[in-house]
Amino acid sequence: MEDQKPPETTSCKGSVMSRIECGEVCPRSKTFFKTRECAVWVLWVISIVVGALAVAVAFFVLNHRQYALYDATHDNFFTFMADVLPLLWIMVFGLMVFVGVYELRHTKRGYKYPLWQIFGSSMVLSLAGGAALHLFGLGYSTDHILGQQMSMYNSQEKIEEKMWQAPDEGRLLGRFGRPLPAPSALVRFTDVAGNEWGVNVDELSLQERELLEHDEMVRLIGQITDGEEGVFYSCGVFPWMLDKPMSREDLRAAREMFQMKIEGYKERSEHMMYRLEGEEGNEDDENDEAETPCGEIEPVRRLDDK
Amino acid sequence: MELIPSLPPSDVEVVKMTLEDPNQYGLLVERYEAKLQRYITRLGVRIHDDQLDVLQEIFIKAYRNLNSFDTSLSFSSWIYRIAHNEAISFYRKKNVRPEGHLVGDGDEVLSFISSSLDTADVKFDQGINAEEVNKALTLIDEKYREPLILRFFEHKEYDEISDILQIPIGSVGTLIHRGKKQLATVLNKDALRI
Repeated sequence: MEDQKPPETTSCKGSVMSRIECGEVCPRSKTFFKTRECAVWVLWVISIVVGALAVAVAFFVLNHRQYALYDATHDNFFTFMADVLPLLWIMVFGLMVFVGVYELRHTKRGYKYPLWQIFGSSMVLSLAGGAALHLFGLGYSTDHILGQQMSMYNSQEKIEEKMWQAPDEGRLLGRFGRPLPAPSALVRFTDVAGNEWGVNVDELSLQERELLEHDEMVRLIGQITDGEEGVFYSCGVFPWMLDKPMSREDLRAAREMFQMKIEGYKERSEHMMYRLEGEEGNEDDENDEAETPCGEIEPVRRLDDK
Repeated sequence: MELIPSLPPSDVEVVKMTLEDPNQYGLLVERYEAKLQRYITRLGVRIHDDQLDVLQEIFIKAYRNLNSFDTSLSFSSWIYRIAHNEAISFYRKKNVRPEGHLVGDGDEVLSFISSSLDTADVKFDQGINAEEVNKALTLIDEKYREPLILRFFEHKEYDEISDILQIPIGSVGTLIHRGKKQLATVLNKDALRI
């Protein structure tokens, strides 16, 4: 019987057993394998949690972006989207899904499941977790905290501030101070950069003036009329939406108001042009409607270009 | 009173015994060395010295990782998995592409052929040339070769192949089906007739 075995077989057993017997090789402990398996699962959980956080921040960014006034800051919706799309978080989400799939595949039984199931489960868990975290406000908190702690991180707040704190382009972000003494139509306004402005509120509706007086952060559109004195002619006041929940209705209402205003300024501007060209010297009409800087602000120009 | 001859201990039992007494490991080596040697030869480890090295590494690795053996799986699948990995490491070290060298005995090739007749939509002649099948297996895609070897030469079930190659069972079926089809196109039909 022994003779039937190939000679190499015997030598293999002999060398294996001699290595074992001399203590050269020892079985790794159960703890080692359990720890390794746990580590894989922990990494998987981490990837899902981080992926969910990425989704939560992306949801927050996408939901709270101020689409309502995109034409106040951008030429069109596509350029606006290119600027606001949370690419970093989408990439983090993608990376975490990839890590999650990799980890799950490397669990003891991970190979038994088709790739699409593993991929799908990681995606769904991250998306569902992200939606839940977003509902609890963790998307905003994560973005806000990262923005405060990391100077390099462009939080939603920072992006919005950059977008709206652009006086030369007719946008101001800040708070209302005290009104200037009558009969001046200027009110004190401090922007987020700490600059003091005298804002002309002649064109503003009662509603907008009330909004200013609430001492909350607001966004202004208008034009600098006196750079040296720091006078800003205000053509519209809009609430700062970032730190408060805004429903779709609120956004829609803000957009409608914005569009109405801009179209109104455009019509007035066209009317003025027409009168200046064709009906020079008609003083009565001129008294009815005086030319204001609001007809020349950026959003009106964009509307003209369209 | 008649004594009932005791059955040899199962692989799982030997594993447990080995963890208490390392000398018992020899029993597992004896059980699997010939099978694994055939298997790695089929995977392309042709030179005898290389085979010995690879075999030794397989058994040493298996011993070292004995505590990771999941008793819900078969020991055979587990050690075949290690053999599969070692064969791959061997190719990597040698920087060569695996070339199958099937040690096919007549029965194995015949069983393979008969199963091909069932499912591959190709009618083989009864007098098929075993050597041609061996040669054709070396010519098909690598991803199909190993499932075919495990199924038709190592006689493994789909779930065992799934455990060895660490792929879903559905994928095993697909690979075997496609592998057979590719094999049928690769086979030189003239060579099938004697």
